[in-house]
Amino acid sequence: MGKVTVQQPDTETVAVPDGRLPGDVHMWVMVLGDLIVFSSYFLIYLIYRSMDPESFLRAQQHLDINIGSINTVVLLTSSLFVARSVLSARAGAHRQAIGFVYAAGGCGVLFMVLKGYEWAAKISAGHTNSDMFFSFYYVITGVHLVHVLIGLIVLGVVVRELQNPGRRRTWMVETGATYWHMVDLLWVIIFGLLYVMR
Amino acid sequence: MAATTGTTEKTETTARTLGWAWVVLVVITVASWRLAPAHFTDTVVASTGVTALVLVLTYIKARVILRYFMEVRSSPRWLRIGTEVWLIVLLGAVFGIYLA
Repeated sequence: MGKVTVQQPDTETVAVPDGRLPGDVHMWVMVLGDLIVFSSYFLIYLIYRSMDPESFLRAQQHLDINIGSINTVVLLTSSLFVARSVLSARAGAHRQAIGFVYAAGGCGVLFMVLKGYEWAAKISAGHTNSDMFFSFYYVITGVHLVHVLIGLIVLGVVVRELQNPGRRRTWMVETGATYWHMVDLLWVIIFGLLYVMR
Repeated sequence: MAATTGTTEKTETTARTLGWAWVVLVVITVASWRLAPAHFTDTVVASTGVTALVLVLTYIKARVILRYFMEVRSSPRWLRIGTEVWLIVLLGAVFGIYLA
């Protein structure tokens, strides 16, 4: 067990010394818990898939890989913006940090719009919960979408923090960023397991 | 809160590193797009090789997000080891179930 540096609730902390936890430890506990919950969804999906790999593969061919890939790039870009906002906040460039958070939030909204379009297109094409693969697809991407929505609220809290000259606590920005990156991390795995593997 | 010169340099270096991490992630995503079953109109057959490659690419992407975006690479040891173990166990279990 390495030493856990106590969080400094001020804007003095700029560089990240080795062995420092970015953001609040409680957020990390929640993130690790969420990763384990999603991991169990993934493994249950794989167990069902292994019982009927042919029909899962047929159904996977009906996914919109273009939208799936664009959405992956959108979410990766949002994560880059959030990471940049943390750097800006540490350097005291709060206005720039807010700009980066808004850009990330915009990407998050775009992700939700594209995902909504993708769902609508699949449902109207008759790919509903009656198909085993698609029921996993709707549940896993649906639970993930709820996380994107919560992430947007978290980014809103980060903006409020950065707008208030009396607050602007760097660790709050880092904590929000940690949540948002988790949403991105989970999506990358969902993309691999649902869209790409054969 | 004025940033010192040293800090500014460090910030710029890290911003560049983040940019490169993003490039790696996007390149892998585009490569994955070409591999996906939905990319083909003909019947696609199951492929252990492609699946193994996809899992390796997913491992690299997840690790880049963890280490560079989430700053796990400069975090305490328990978090570095914990996330690494989680990722390897998850993707290893995925591949194990796939092969079973």
